[in-house]
Order: sequence, then structure tokens, then C-alpha cells
Amino acid sequence: MNEADFRRRRRRIAIAWIALLALMLTSLGSAYLSLGIGNVIAGLVIATIKSSIVVIVFMGLGRSSAMVRIAAAAALSMWFVLAGLSGVDYATRPHEPARYQSPRQLQPLTGKENEP
Amino acid sequence: MNADSYPIVDPRHANRGAGAPPEIGKLGMWVFLGTEVLFFGGLMLSYLYGRTHWPGGFAAAGRHTHVWIGTINTAVLLTSSALIALAGATSECMPMRRWTPRLLWLTALFGLGFLVLKGIEYDKEVHEQLFPQAGFALSETGAELFFWLYWLMTAIHALHLAIGVGAVSLFAWATGRQRRWADSHRIEVLALYWHFVDVVWIFLYPLLYLIDRHS
Repeated sequence: MNEADFRRRRRRIAIAWIALLALMLTSLGSAYLSLGIGNVIAGLVIATIKSSIVVIVFMGLGRSSAMVRIAAAAALSMWFVLAGLSGVDYATRPHEPARYQSPRQLQPLTGKENEP
Repeated sequence: MNADSYPIVDPRHANRGAGAPPEIGKLGMWVFLGTEVLFFGGLMLSYLYGRTHWPGGFAAAGRHTHVWIGTINTAVLLTSSALIALAGATSECMPMRRWTPRLLWLTALFGLGFLVLKGIEYDKEVHEQLFPQAGFALSETGAELFFWLYWLMTAIHALHLAIGVGAVSLFAWATGRQRRWADSHRIEVLALYWHFVDVVWIFLYPLLYLIDRHS
């Protein structure tokens, strides 16, 4: 890498870093607005954009070979497949929670429990 | 040997011949990170199940996390990721190589700063009875489960980061002493691990710190 390439790369890293911090503050600000389900969606969408910036700019997935990109895509796809399969079980279970019972100390045995 | 006289790439790599793809280290790290995606992904799935089944308890518990410490730590990790990316770039550019060890040390320092802040946060939470055990502070159903997942996910993340701090420090020392094995390929592979730990935190931040802050 020559110095011109280095300067270009340094600029990309700096822009990505500023964008990441701006997105973090946006995420924090949106959490204090009453958006209902929109709060969760905003948080996760911003997190996805931030992680995409890290993966593409910092980790250089776009510059990597097809073999590396396939390995990354396979990992993510596998998570979606396994999450979907787990969801088939967990999302369809009846929700019957038992009442919470505080743990308590049993009375010590004295050997005289059966005496009248 | 001065900083400019040793090669960017370990010559032992060059001697492996045409049979060894240049990206083999990167591919190996990506495959490892794939297993990590499934590991952290399973925990996040547990979180999703808890949050959809006990939304009230998760919201009540989420309001008790320390949002400012979490936010500062997010900024610290994002900055450390930018620093190690810059270290990777300097290691590939001969006139800039003298900056590589300094940037790596700075990355390790930011990682250490994250761990110190996390430790302070853990200490506050233990004192606030937010560790799931007898006498847990919150009574809402699901709140204790939230904190089980909180402690598990953040502790495993911190463990990954501590390993990263150790590895980055080793490379910072090695590049400072112009060790041949600490070449730009290996720094790039190490940076992939560091960035992944950052990506995990990017998702943990809204899930653990930004729930129900508006109420």
C-alpha cells in the first residue's frame, strides 16, 4: 500500500468512526422517545447498520475473496436457520409458569419427628 | 534492525508457494467467528424468548442497567475498533509502520478501559442486589431472568475482550520489536477478532441498556 492509498483508507476509517458514534447517539436518543414497538425496531436497525459498517469498512469483507465472504454468509445463514428451528419449538409451547417459591431452610431433623 | 528494514509480510508466507492462498488466515478466523456467531446467537435467542414472554419484567430490569456506563463503553469499543483498523492500515504501508505498535498499544488500552468501566458497573450492580440470587432487588416476573442473561452475556463478552487485550498487547510488543511473525497479515486476522467482539457489543447495547428508557 502506498501513501496515497493509506490516506484514502485512513479517511474511510475516520468517516466510519464518526458515523458509528453518531449512530450510537441516535440509538441512545431514540430510546428516550415513546415509540412503542418502534423503540425495539429502531435499536436493532441502528445496531444492524453499525455492525454492517464495522464488517464492511473495518473488517473489509467487501474486499475479501469469495471464499471468505461465503464463510461469513454461511455463519449468518446458519444462525437464522437454527433460530427459526428453535422458534418452531419455543414459540409454540404453552406458557404455563409455575408460581415462584422462595427457597427456604428446612427444619433440622432431631430424630423425634415420629414420637407422639 | 530499524522499523523499515523488515518485510511487511513474513517471508515464510511467501515460501509456502502457490498452493497456500494468501487469505488462508483470514478464512480461518472467519470460520472461527462463524462458530462465535452461533454461540452468542444462541444467547440472543434466549433473550428474545424472555423478552417476548415477560416484557414487563424485562422492561423493569432494563431500566436498572447503567445506561451512561454502557454508552461510554460503546464509544470506547467503537473507537478501539477504528484504532486497530488504522493499525492494520499502517502495517501495510512501509512509511507508516512506526505507528503500528503505538496504535496497537492504544487499542489494548481502550480495551482495558472498557473492562475497568465494566468492573465498576458490576460492582454497583452487586451493591444494588441486581445479581440473581436470594434477596434479588426486583420482584417483577422475568426481571431475574433478564439479569441472568445480562450477567452471562456481558461476562462472556468481557472474557472475549480480555483475550483480545492480551493478544493485541502481544502484537503491540512484537511489532515494536520488529518480530517477523507479527506481520500485516496476522495483524489483519487479529483485528477481525477484535472487530467481532465490537459487533457483539453493538447488539448487546440496545438489548441490555436501552429498554423502556422513555417511561
